[in-house]
Amino acid sequence: MPRSADATLPHRPLRLAGGAAIALAIAALIGTLFWAILHAAAGQAATGPGVDLGDLIYITTLQAVLSTGLSLLAGVALAWALNRLRFHGRGLLIGLFASAIVTPGLVVAFGLLSVWGRAGWLGFAGVPIFGLGGVVAAHVLLDGAFAARILLARLDAIPAARLKTGQSLGLTPWTRFAVIDWPALRGTLPGLAAIIFLLAFTSFPIVLLLGGGPAVQTLEIAIYSAVRLDFNLGLAVQLALIQIALCAVIILASAALAPISASLDRPAEPRWRDAGWARAAQWLVLALALFGFASPLLATLLDGIAGLDSVLAQPAFWNAVWTSLWIGAVSALLTLALALLIATGRAAASSRLARVLLGAPAYAYLAVPAVTLSLGAFILVRDLGIGPVVAAPAVVVIANALLSLPFAMATLAPPVEAIARSRGRLIRSLNLGGWRQFAEIEWPLLARDAGLVVALGFCFSLGDLGVIALFGTQDFTTLPLLMVRALGAYRTHDAASIAALMLVLTIAAFVLLPRLIGRLADART
Amino acid sequence: MLALEDVTFAYAGSNPYCFSMTAEAGTVTAIRGASGAGKSTLLDLVAGFLAPASGVVRIGGQDVTALPPERRPVSILFQSETLFEHLSAARNVALGLPRPDAARVEAALAEVGLADLGPQRAATLSGGQKQRVALARTLLRDRPVLLLDEPFSALDDDTRATTRTLVRDLTLKHRWATVLVTHHADDIAAIADRVYVLQGGTLRAQP
Repeated sequence: MPRSADATLPHRPLRLAGGAAIALAIAALIGTLFWAILHAAAGQAATGPGVDLGDLIYITTLQAVLSTGLSLLAGVALAWALNRLRFHGRGLLIGLFASAIVTPGLVVAFGLLSVWGRAGWLGFAGVPIFGLGGVVAAHVLLDGAFAARILLARLDAIPAARLKTGQSLGLTPWTRFAVIDWPALRGTLPGLAAIIFLLAFTSFPIVLLLGGGPAVQTLEIAIYSAVRLDFNLGLAVQLALIQIALCAVIILASAALAPISASLDRPAEPRWRDAGWARAAQWLVLALALFGFASPLLATLLDGIAGLDSVLAQPAFWNAVWTSLWIGAVSALLTLALALLIATGRAAASSRLARVLLGAPAYAYLAVPAVTLSLGAFILVRDLGIGPVVAAPAVVVIANALLSLPFAMATLAPPVEAIARSRGRLIRSLNLGGWRQFAEIEWPLLARDAGLVVALGFCFSLGDLGVIALFGTQDFTTLPLLMVRALGAYRTHDAASIAALMLVLTIAAFVLLPRLIGRLADART
Repeated sequence: MLALEDVTFAYAGSNPYCFSMTAEAGTVTAIRGASGAGKSTLLDLVAGFLAPASGVVRIGGQDVTALPPERRPVSILFQSETLFEHLSAARNVALGLPRPDAARVEAALAEVGLADLGPQRAATLSGGQKQRVALARTLLRDRPVLLLDEPFSALDDDTRATTRTLVRDLTLKHRWATVLVTHHADDIAAIADRVYVLQGGTLRAQP
């Protein structure tokens, strides 16, 4: 039996083999989908009518650049305000902003229409919500809140001794930010910018709803239109290849940047409050952020209640609820299983190269946007002679699980590695078997993170439109697809109710699932 | 002079501390105690990072109990995190002044024996050099009380001895009331004029 080179790690050949098998299977699937797209591209028309590739890339990049810059600015300001201010309900507010990562873009876009649209709460203000401004605003709301949560964690991890030194020196609010906060934030910003850029670059439902037509069309929308509306597979393939190439360049560039690492420093003590203008500015930032983020969600909920009776009476609605729930549940569990197998396999590997090779396929899906992924699957099942209707459930489940995998790995891999490094010696000395190691040591420590992975997987799947958009049929419909269809048929009350239900389900899953799984693990130990 | 008069404090769910002590100008007063005895809590109460439940903290005869940390006539040095590592040594020292004054910064660095290291980034300095830069900043702030929270713990024996001597010399020269928290007997033997033992939440003067 091959021995681990690292004496602190228990020998776990089965884990290594399991992780390697999953990583290989994912790599093979990516390769097959890529091959399917390339194969379909051969012999197809190179361009389609009415598509200006240069303009498409320019608009996609422009909205992503603007979204990234403004999201980071908003995120830094909000993190700064939340780090300084103490008030009742602060934890709840931080939880609300944290939920941005799972709030469906479709719901936020619809909420923005409910607030700023012509017939919205503040429609009289005449704010142009369709077009570049609306798309960027929706991205800033979601990605700015997401950025704030990550940046707040960096600020909260500033060592107490550093803060005490600064406070004792009587630093002004500006000097405090420049000397203490900024060094804690700046290492995180490039990696965070790359993630937000990718999210905005591959954004689908927000641009679909708020783009306002061809004027603000992105690559993702153009691929969808080419497949579903124009039936121009050649053009779709060409656009997909361009998008994969651009995303790959961004990912390769971001790989050279500092990772968003967790800090193990002692948390700071929240006793140093800024005074005067800084404090007023912090409250202003908080009020603006709360209004900007919460008002579309509140509008969605309130508008949704109005049309609820009509929606509840439709069999198609209940069919979509059931489909969304089971796809979400199966995708989430599949995500957890894949992430656990890869993460434990990686942690059992003694060489750095083996760990990189085992983890790489899980992250590769960041380069393949949802619509492109489902295009590859669409072409593949067609080439295999399987009807899209037959393949749809399996494809949607697998695609959603794989799309959640990078986030699941980012959540689970660091604690799994940490357990192996910190407790490996003890596990070896006790000669624990692999299953006992997992059941008695790893699972109780990982349960809350596992719960978060299940919640992320469920919520991503629940809000997904990119995959289901190509595979959905009248009989196989999820809530986001049903909502888009309702909007297309000008049944806005129905769409509002569906959006409200998606929002409630998302927040409930995001809040309850990690606690539920954590409690189950606690009860067992 | 620093005086704590029946200063009490309790963390939630823990036994209360009750501190009474004095530290004279131009002397080093050492606080000895086991890990978790409350040594850092004592310094936090003097520096203003914690508010006492009762009692009075006096510096130079004035009641400073209600003053926030930035307005207390106190300088503090920790074992680590004494400097902002991305800044130069000179910039770190200059943070002790209300506005930059290159001549005074240079003079302070010279006084701690680091005249040539002003432009060097703090991250590249050795542990002993970092503590000296922090002491240079303390010189510019010219506060009558210096609090040292295990400042020599991360230093090797030789550096530790020279830094201790520097603290002792500066304390005498500038008439600081220096309070040194440590659990190292050799630090106490080398520079302490007076020793308190912290045990069971109270301070007891060691003869």
